Amino acid sequence: MTVGQPVERVDGRAKVTGDARYAADRTLPGMLYSYLVMGTIARGRVTSVDTAAARAVPGVVEVFTHENAPRLTSDQHFMPLQGTQIHYNGQIVAITVATTPEQAQEAAELVRVTYAPETPKAVIADALTEVYLPANQEVIVGDPTAGLAAAEVTVTQNYSSPPHHHNPIEPHATVAQWDGDHLTVHETSQGVVNAQRTFASAFAIPQTNVRVLAPYLGGGFGGKSPVWPHSLLNAAIARQLGRPAKMVLTRAQMYSIVSHRAEFRQQVTLGAKRDGTLTALVHLSTQQLSRTSENMYSHSISSRMLYACPNIHTRQQGVRLDVPTSRFMRSPQMASHFGLETALDELSYQLGIDPVELRRRNYTDVNPTTGERFSSRFLLDCYKLGADAFGWSRRNPKPGSTRDGHEFVGWGMATEAHDHNANPSSAMVRMAADGTVLSQTATQDIGTGTYTVFTQVVADALGVPLNQVKVELGDTNFPPAALSAGSGTIASVTGAVNAAALAVRTAVVQLAVSNPASPLHGLPAEQIITQHGYLFSPDRSRRESYRAVMARHGAPVQNTSSMTNARGYSTGAVFVEVRVDPRYGRVRVTRGVGAYDAGRVMNHKTAGSQVIGGFTWGIGNALMEHTVLDRRTARVVNPNLSTYLLAVNADVPDIQAIFVNKPDPVSTALGARGFGETPITGVPAAIGNAIFHATGRRIRDLPFTQDKLL
Amino acid sequence: MKNFTYAAPRNVADAVRLAGQPDARFIAGGTDLLNLMKDGAQSHGAIIDINGLALGDIVQRNGVIRIGALARMSDVAAHPAVRRSLPVVSEALLNSASPQIRNMAAVGGNVLQRTRCGYFRDSGTTCNKKAPGSGCPALEGENRGHAVLGGSDHCIAVHPSDLAVALLAVDAVVLTDRRRIPFADFHVVPGTTPDQETVLGHGELITGFEIPVTPLAARSRYLKLRDRATFEFAVVAVAAALNMRGNTVRDVRLTFGGVATKPWRSPEAEDALRGKPLTTTTITEAGRALVRGAVTRDHNAFKVDLVQRALDGLLRDLGGVR
Repeated sequence: MTVGQPVERVDGRAKVTGDARYAADRTLPGMLYSYLVMGTIARGRVTSVDTAAARAVPGVVEVFTHENAPRLTSDQHFMPLQGTQIHYNGQIVAITVATTPEQAQEAAELVRVTYAPETPKAVIADALTEVYLPANQEVIVGDPTAGLAAAEVTVTQNYSSPPHHHNPIEPHATVAQWDGDHLTVHETSQGVVNAQRTFASAFAIPQTNVRVLAPYLGGGFGGKSPVWPHSLLNAAIARQLGRPAKMVLTRAQMYSIVSHRAEFRQQVTLGAKRDGTLTALVHLSTQQLSRTSENMYSHSISSRMLYACPNIHTRQQGVRLDVPTSRFMRSPQMASHFGLETALDELSYQLGIDPVELRRRNYTDVNPTTGERFSSRFLLDCYKLGADAFGWSRRNPKPGSTRDGHEFVGWGMATEAHDHNANPSSAMVRMAADGTVLSQTATQDIGTGTYTVFTQVVADALGVPLNQVKVELGDTNFPPAALSAGSGTIASVTGAVNAAALAVRTAVVQLAVSNPASPLHGLPAEQIITQHGYLFSPDRSRRESYRAVMARHGAPVQNTSSMTNARGYSTGAVFVEVRVDPRYGRVRVTRGVGAYDAGRVMNHKTAGSQVIGGFTWGIGNALMEHTVLDRRTARVVNPNLSTYLLAVNADVPDIQAIFVNKPDPVSTALGARGFGETPITGVPAAIGNAIFHATGRRIRDLPFTQDKLL
Repeated sequence: MKNFTYAAPRNVADAVRLAGQPDARFIAGGTDLLNLMKDGAQSHGAIIDINGLALGDIVQRNGVIRIGALARMSDVAAHPAVRRSLPVVSEALLNSASPQIRNMAAVGGNVLQRTRCGYFRDSGTTCNKKAPGSGCPALEGENRGHAVLGGSDHCIAVHPSDLAVALLAVDAVVLTDRRRIPFADFHVVPGTTPDQETVLGHGELITGFEIPVTPLAARSRYLKLRDRATFEFAVVAVAAALNMRGNTVRDVRLTFGGVATKPWRSPEAEDALRGKPLTTTTITEAGRALVRGAVTRDHNAFKVDLVQRALDGLLRDLGGVR
């Protein structure tokens, strides 16, 4: 069995040697380069666009403005260049097209746009009187008012967090090529099948006319889930000009046209008995919406699913601002989770109950909103495993009780939790006449290890070595499969891959036992053992290699299978140590332990890397990460990785990842659940709770920069 | 990105002659210039690559350490003479950028790097540094990172170099192809001409730095506070050099980064210490003297407090004050 083993990434060599070809690496004969011109006001109208100087740049083929851009509609997004209206700063106001990217960029810098600007609203504080409740954004369980009345202790606090941007290291890129009414797109896409549907719809052509490829991704974090308008515009330009067209976004452009995590404010009210039992949980939030969409993505799932509380009220309000539409961003439930897990820490101090013990006392096996039993939940094990590994029992709960030199030492914890997608998926597995195995499925490896895990699944199902298996992903020519979002890839697609591989195994075994030329001839098929590339008799006295069976058969054996899976909820517990230098308000995270219930662990190395990655994002979210908007212009002031700070190696301590590793009985993915987004969710609250433990200072506004701790 | 010509002269005279073209710029490590050009914040018609000039040596002779302008940040930081005699210079360099950038970037370019002010770097925003008279959005906008010292109604952008703060603390002299400029006279405050950041003339080439080896410089240290552990510009930085006789401060240099529009020396803070014992009281008075003229904006008032705390912490460490 290789599933569960810490198998090294099968695509690692291709990635470090440059063999892995990403969307921006695609260069086609006769290709043109598109470059975006971004608007500089957030609200108002374009009054004129002067393209004369841009058109004069050598190599420029065309300059598109709202006056001459291809007409496009999108049922998902506001489509720029279709009129003069400006809805957010950094909106696309023109596109230059040239024979080299440098020419296109130079031309873009020469496009002169004039506006009739209006005063924008940039932040929630600008529009507090305009907060409203969109449809279907309120959930009430039990009687929260009565629950609060019955409480012996109540905590009510407000928390806030700034906007964030996805910032995958690979910039968004799109390369479009038309052949008649057939379109091929190399797209930085977390979902080639969804992308195929979007392109087909935009150009009113059959879905089968569109091929989308995304064999490798350098991260996405939700920002590459939809097809954004710039990709549709680039494809329309390629069609209109009759040549392939490439567009690669700059880092700065990615701060206005490929979405973000919304600015978020929340109020959490907890009512509890003296013994810590929750009697009511009221979670009111307000997130930023745009002028063109009231979709919201930072959901209060944790408050509705995590703790045993008979009376729950979540209300997710919105406020429309002159900013781009937000979207899912790595662990969208983290924003509200921060409020809940900080409030629980505050409650634990009010009650004088240890934070782990308080959570244990409110543990539940059933979903408190629906009353349904979770198929599998080992969160209590996570608390125990994490606390033991961390040494939590040695903690003196008194804030400011531990000092080391100039620094105060604090220990904090939080529950981690995120639900995951499960979308119907299909996969093909084919054993060639030479015994090698190919598996194809139109899901993606966003960088987390999908290639590796599916290689393990196929190898195990067939009983062949890993190096006999090749997995191909990210192409709509393959059987349709899930979006790589919402932690859903492994949960959605593993079952189909496994089923197809098992079907191939069954067929090959049948070829052997039914053929007099095989040493296994006449044996019952169900008794055949497959291992190490061989088929064995039950007593292992006779054997024949897959290669020999296939050579005799002389033709490939192939199967395509489909599978559905249930959505799930993966939980865990994270423990952190911080050191705070009160002289400078400086916080260092010096230790981290996380224990998780993710169902079966498919690969301890890649799953462990998810924990390290999640923890690292969590440190950034807690201590530094935020998008700075100029409040008067609603324009991002830090659209680059030099001033949009993310944690670097020196900010990240050794992180210990522990897995309960018990298969979820209802999961068709060999018992695995989706997991990727879980290990970020609790980290900001755990760090804030640790800072409180270190200093007695409670910071409720993210990020916890040093100016807030002076 | 505009087309530009490229030349790689082999001697200083040729380099300076080529740089006399209007719109020309020297390039060494390129770690800042290329970003500025790619982002459209700056454009040049001629790029003069000076990496072929023999300006990379670091030598100590006659009580002076001479650092060539093309010496890489990593080489200067690790040089034994620098580490021994100018610890603040080595520390400031090691607190700068990342190892990869330090391997590329030359020290001559380092002191000329442009501000990280988000408005300056954004080609879609007005900025008096980019286009004098167009307006400064930082004054009333997002200014958490901006200067509280040395600003004007035209510009409050912070000078980003750590090395420059350290060089100022050790009485460095800037050597150019035509003259010697005391480091204290090299950078200028923005006033009404924020596009002017130094006294260098057009096409004038920094060839190196001279730093006297003194007991003052030998006891020097750099403290940098920032929003992440590394690869990040200073929120507040302090360089201090201290020469004590017994418990009395014989001489002191106090220079600051992250808080001012140019590498900032505070004679007032130094005067509060010079000739006096190093105590909690005198250190506190030095901090007060430093910020007496500070002008704060909506988001950067915390720097006034933080820079005094940094000065206090650094002087206590350096002076052994408990």
